Amino acid sequence: MTAVVGSAGVALGLFASLLGIAALALGLGRCDDRLLLIGRRAVFLVLAGAVVAAAAMEWALVTHDFSIKYVASNGSLSTPLLYTVSALWGALEGSILLWALVLAGYLVVTVRRFRHRATDPLVAWATLTGLVVAVFFFALMVGPANPFRLLDGPIPLDGNGPNPLLQNHPLMAFHPPILYLGYVGFTVPFSFAVAALVTGRLGEGWLLETRRTTLAAWGFLTVGIVLGGWWSYEVLGWGGYWAWDPVENASLLPWLTATAFLHSVVVQERRGMLRVWNLSLVVATFALTILGTFLTRSGIINSVHAFSQSPIGPALLGFLALVALVAVGLIAWRADLLRSPGRIDSPWSREAAFLGNNLLFATFALVVLLGTVFPLLAEAYDGRQLSVGEPYFDQMTMPIGFAALFLMAVAPALPWRAASGEVMHRRLAPSAWAAALAMVVAVVLGMRGLAPLLTVGLGVFALAGIVRQFVAGTRRRRHMNGEHRLAALARTIGGNRRLYGGLIVHVGVVLFAVAFALSSAFAVERELDLGLGESGELRGYDVTYLGSETTSGGDKTTVSARLAVGRGSRRLGVYEPALSQFRGTTQAIGTPSVRTTLLDDVYLTLIASPNAQADRVVVGVRVNPLVVWLWIGTGVMATGTVVAAWPTRSARRRHPPQLPTEVVAPALGQAAAEVPHVAGAGATPGGAR
Amino acid sequence: MNTRVLSWAGVLAVVVLALAVGARPSGNPPTPVARAERIAAELRCPVCQGLSVADSDSPTARDIRADILRRLDAGQSDAEVRQAYVERYGVWILLRPPAEGFGALVWVVPGMAAVLGGGGLVLALRRWHRLRTPEPDPDDRHRVEQALGRPLLP
Repeated sequence: MTAVVGSAGVALGLFASLLGIAALALGLGRCDDRLLLIGRRAVFLVLAGAVVAAAAMEWALVTHDFSIKYVASNGSLSTPLLYTVSALWGALEGSILLWALVLAGYLVVTVRRFRHRATDPLVAWATLTGLVVAVFFFALMVGPANPFRLLDGPIPLDGNGPNPLLQNHPLMAFHPPILYLGYVGFTVPFSFAVAALVTGRLGEGWLLETRRTTLAAWGFLTVGIVLGGWWSYEVLGWGGYWAWDPVENASLLPWLTATAFLHSVVVQERRGMLRVWNLSLVVATFALTILGTFLTRSGIINSVHAFSQSPIGPALLGFLALVALVAVGLIAWRADLLRSPGRIDSPWSREAAFLGNNLLFATFALVVLLGTVFPLLAEAYDGRQLSVGEPYFDQMTMPIGFAALFLMAVAPALPWRAASGEVMHRRLAPSAWAAALAMVVAVVLGMRGLAPLLTVGLGVFALAGIVRQFVAGTRRRRHMNGEHRLAALARTIGGNRRLYGGLIVHVGVVLFAVAFALSSAFAVERELDLGLGESGELRGYDVTYLGSETTSGGDKTTVSARLAVGRGSRRLGVYEPALSQFRGTTQAIGTPSVRTTLLDDVYLTLIASPNAQADRVVVGVRVNPLVVWLWIGTGVMATGTVVAAWPTRSARRRHPPQLPTEVVAPALGQAAAEVPHVAGAGATPGGAR
Repeated sequence: MNTRVLSWAGVLAVVVLALAVGARPSGNPPTPVARAERIAAELRCPVCQGLSVADSDSPTARDIRADILRRLDAGQSDAEVRQAYVERYGVWILLRPPAEGFGALVWVVPGMAAVLGGGGLVLALRRWHRLRTPEPDPDDRHRVEQALGRPLLP
């Protein structure tokens, strides 16, 4: 019964998407507004279908309806409720369902935002494109990835339960949905890009209209990726959070192109340039989310030979090819309209710095993409298997990371159009001195190594520049309006939230980068073989074995070791790393126990179960410095994204002038400071003068 | 002008000094344990999902780590140890693909792309630099004045 309801939901979603496409296409062809409104309404039906399907699946999971194959494979009677609910995104079919649900949600939000312009061809074409994507995902659920397929044969009394790794930590409930909110969100800018190409309205309108959705998607993707790393750190027990695994790389790729887009879009808004490039980045970001799903869901990465057996791989690959073909075709068709006469006056300008940023991020994305698919290419070329792993990615991306940090320190201080040496000196010299002194302090404190020192120096360089901008903005307001310090700060941020939100994101990036560099450079680890009451030491921490216990409950039998952590005479608490054996699996799953402080983490793993006769354990001890700052930095990035993307009433009123930028641009030389919303968006306090 | 140059020269000097002191590798040759760790970090754990031998706690990875240390103690060089593992498992065991044959592409292509992209950017910037700044014609000025709602400053 539940399966029937769920299948009906999927069918409704598919049908409504097709109906919407037909209505919109006819309406656009005949210029019939009534049809366009029907098409718009169909989007709500799509969401209704997706909600019914997802709710049916959740109901089936919670009520343990093992007649449904997905529930029998991914649920079990003894699985805790949280992991029963999150089993929706624990395997292929459910994750496609979640994808469709999130997509329908985004489409509804979009058509609601544009409810007063439902008959605008740009909006109609964007809705149509979004619905085409929806058709693809609903069709997957009707065909190769049907979540409501019934089990052949007798209905089992109990299911297999989720993969043991997926029911070990509550982060599993948050990481995939947030990641999907990021992935799927990029469908909206992609749809508008296609709509802009089709309608020929290639000005900056579509960029401005999707700016907030893009930012929100970017923020979700950022948080989703980091939550994945955090989950890996808390669950997998190898002491790290990022392994350049193909699945991780697949999520990083669209993030890189989206980050490039968020920066280069500013150049198009200000100077009317880079139209083709921005369209390409939007298309690439969307295509990479599909490619990522293909790489991680088709099984192609683990083994090339699984490809033909995987039902969903060819469909995703075909869709990817379709996206690429349509986009390239449209861009080629509109080549004349896309040509822009803009130019960049000087390499020492903000816009040139944005180009540098794009070069870095595009190269970064190329490295990650090439490294991820290279084993496949090599095997296809001469049948030789080879690996591309962490040492490759570390070596190739480190210089790009340093260059990006450097650019992040310099670029916000560069004025638009052209910088004079005097201005650059005034804005950068104090931060540069702060950076140099920070490096000296780090060396005096005993920090060694090129990469950590450079990261500290460049991080402080960037941070000092950001502080300078906040101080300068606040001071200007205080002088002009005599406001109180905090009020002036708040209004400075409020007056140009995009700039200051962006700078807050940069603060988070610096925290993240420094934590990343130092935690990987200065982590230490040791294996301790301890008898009862014995201790071992690592970087000033003592770890004492107090005993072990075995608990059986639900699906698993868990052995945990009690370890007292102390430092000198201070006792810091008892920690219990564990090994769990799940029913029906042979390999034990370790659960690390982590003591987190602002300075360092003590990361304990149980390597071998306690030996019953001698009562000895083998534990792994790692001290990882500053790891918590990765999560804090990400929180700061999310905060900055919210500041930049949060809607305001004034944003709705303040529409940009409908003038082609290339006409305005030459005259802006003298008018820059006079046009508030052009000069204000993204300008440094003090402007270009 | 002079103080500006002096200031930046000062920054550069301090940074170079800090890096000279701080980034120098320690004088002693690395211990066998440190060498073993470095080798283990570049070998793929044969039974894991994409982890290195250094990162894995699996029994296989532990055996390999012990074996690496044994080989180093027996006087083998780092390259010899790596070669021994390539002979046993194939090139697949190396997480850093050797830059030979087809495999060289993975190292060369990103660099080439960056050089091409950077070169193109520099060329474009130079071409733009040579262009004369276009003067706004009266029609442009008129449209900007309309957008502003008042006359432009002369």
